[in-house]
Amino acid sequence: MGGILSRENIIRWAALLVLLALIALFTALNPAFLSQRNLARIAIAAAPAMMVALGVTFVIVMGSIDLSMEGAVSLAAVLFCLLFVKLGGALLPWGWLAVPVIVLFGAFYGMLTGLVHVRLKIPSFMASLAMGFVGTGAAVMITGGEIVRIGDSTFRMLLTWRILGYPLMVYVAIACIFVALFIQKHTVLGRNFYAIGGGEELAHASGVNVRAVRIAGFALAGAFYAIGAIFQVAKLGQAEAATGANFMFVSITSVVVGGVALWGGVGGVWNAVVGVLIVNVIANGMVVIGLPNFLQDGVLGVLVILAVVLATDRRAVAFVK
Amino acid sequence: MSTFIRTLIEQEVLHRRRFLLAGAAGLGAMTVPGVFGKGRAMAATNDPALAWSYRDRATAYWNSVVSGGEAFAESLGKPKSALVNLINEGSSEKSLSDLKSFLAKTGGNCAIACDANDSPNARPVVEAVKAANAYVSTMWNKTDDLHPWDFGDNYVCHMTWSDVKPAEDTARILFEAMGGKGGVVHLGGIAANNPAIERLQGLKNALADFPDIELLDAQPADWDTTKAAALMSSYLTRYGDRITGVHCASDQMAYGVIEALLAEGIDDMPIVSYDGNPEAVKLVQDGKLLATVYTNPYWGGGILTSLAYHAAIGTFKPSEEPNEHREFYGPTVLITQEDAAEFSAKYIDAVPDYDWNDFWGPTNGQIQYN
Repeated sequence: MGGILSRENIIRWAALLVLLALIALFTALNPAFLSQRNLARIAIAAAPAMMVALGVTFVIVMGSIDLSMEGAVSLAAVLFCLLFVKLGGALLPWGWLAVPVIVLFGAFYGMLTGLVHVRLKIPSFMASLAMGFVGTGAAVMITGGEIVRIGDSTFRMLLTWRILGYPLMVYVAIACIFVALFIQKHTVLGRNFYAIGGGEELAHASGVNVRAVRIAGFALAGAFYAIGAIFQVAKLGQAEAATGANFMFVSITSVVVGGVALWGGVGGVWNAVVGVLIVNVIANGMVVIGLPNFLQDGVLGVLVILAVVLATDRRAVAFVK
Repeated sequence: MSTFIRTLIEQEVLHRRRFLLAGAAGLGAMTVPGVFGKGRAMAATNDPALAWSYRDRATAYWNSVVSGGEAFAESLGKPKSALVNLINEGSSEKSLSDLKSFLAKTGGNCAIACDANDSPNARPVVEAVKAANAYVSTMWNKTDDLHPWDFGDNYVCHMTWSDVKPAEDTARILFEAMGGKGGVVHLGGIAANNPAIERLQGLKNALADFPDIELLDAQPADWDTTKAAALMSSYLTRYGDRITGVHCASDQMAYGVIEALLAEGIDDMPIVSYDGNPEAVKLVQDGKLLATVYTNPYWGGGILTSLAYHAAIGTFKPSEEPNEHREFYGPTVLITQEDAAEFSAKYIDAVPDYDWNDFWGPTNGQIQYN
């Protein structure tokens, strides 16, 4: 209908086009931008934020919002480090156990957020924001403001071991993206997220257990935050109560820039992936082309608005709140 | 860990209890110092109550400051709890109202050390203390036109730190390690923060003496480890092998830089930082950092409590002291690879036994205003 240049097609591919245009622009200004080494650098910077963005995408698609990621990432990162050290401080023989335990913990933490939101009937942004504070507070209590370090070189291979020029972490992140895509496209849960986001009453009338799906959505998001936290620890070799700082801004911006609509039902994993790459390409590119730092925040803001304008079909909504 | 939680809870309970008491004492008590204030001799016969007013104990920095204050209280033979924690949680209003409650409760018979949270709040704090004829010493925040000597004895002193010179010293160590030539990048704090400005200035001062060293770039990474790692990676793309040294405005950012370089397989880059956190001192010992700077918050917290206390009991009369004893810079300790082990043994593994009566020995001269 309408051929390749139809409105639907342009909006569908807009985020990707913005990403390609940015890459072309930065490369024209400094060819080093497109070097394999720099792409690897962008990928490393993007990997933890990518996991957090994937998680929050599911929640946003449901038409809710989750702002607990900073606390969730901090707490998961701190607990991961402590558990890892407790299990011997090396990946083998027992340190690896910390990975599934913390991912489960993340899911549990997300489930709590979901329960607070659904059972206590608190709007999701408030419930999740509060749970985020709880997470940060707990991380502060546990660490007493100190830093927990992981020195195990086997675990750090996520960052240091390179295959075809990219660290192992990047491949694991790509695998996680496929898992997220699978959940979105091929599971009942994934389809129910869209059903609820598209029209909650209708979904309910059609027999979807809206409450259960919402709680499951938050739990799934929590599991992805925990994976993000583990990547963050792999990247920095340490965790503290501030490890999750900035993830809220980066992940929500990325998801929206990628074309996921905050009112729910629109966009998905693919948009989040492109969005995270756009935000990281901008951050890296501005330094690489030598943009003065006092201009960087302003330019970031303008580029974000531009990307959202291009990537979201706002004709579909009557009003924006 | 559990001790930390226990202290936190105890401290919060105290905090609440004090508030209730202060409320019960009511405004009436505020007039008491007015009645007795003028007539009371300089040397109060009573044992003044002690308090530290500050932001939040959850950060390592403030925890150190208040631990110093508690150590001073213990040196008087009192329990740690004799030092009341007035936690302002980053609110100047709370800072002032808690302080007024404390003044009311003690009838002005108290010695307070205080970081007023922001510069404009220092004046009302000092005025409230003066009105109650109590004694206060301040740290970090005050406006340039507010001076202890304008308030007689009640505003005992102010201590802050200048970061220019220490940052210059670390830069020199870095440049020596770079063989006096090459390119350096700087990772700064939040651009408008005073320490961020001063630490970059220190680097620039040192550059003047090293004509063969080029400052390739200086950008803020907002004191943040993650941002610093990303910024360092971007620097590597833009400048590549031209970067032969890194000057960081804080330890926290240096951790990110080290990891960003590790990801590239670079482990011999000369790096200097600032703050003297235990982890950074360890990195200096391990040879991953060349130097960092320690500002001894523990001593700062203790000595400010001690100064206010001794002014209150009349050991010395602040108004008779020279200006450099009223407004001064705190101590800075440069930690290099040669002395990191010694430093660690002295300051981290054990707590030094400070002489809380040596008020000005370790300070760094009178505060200069531009």
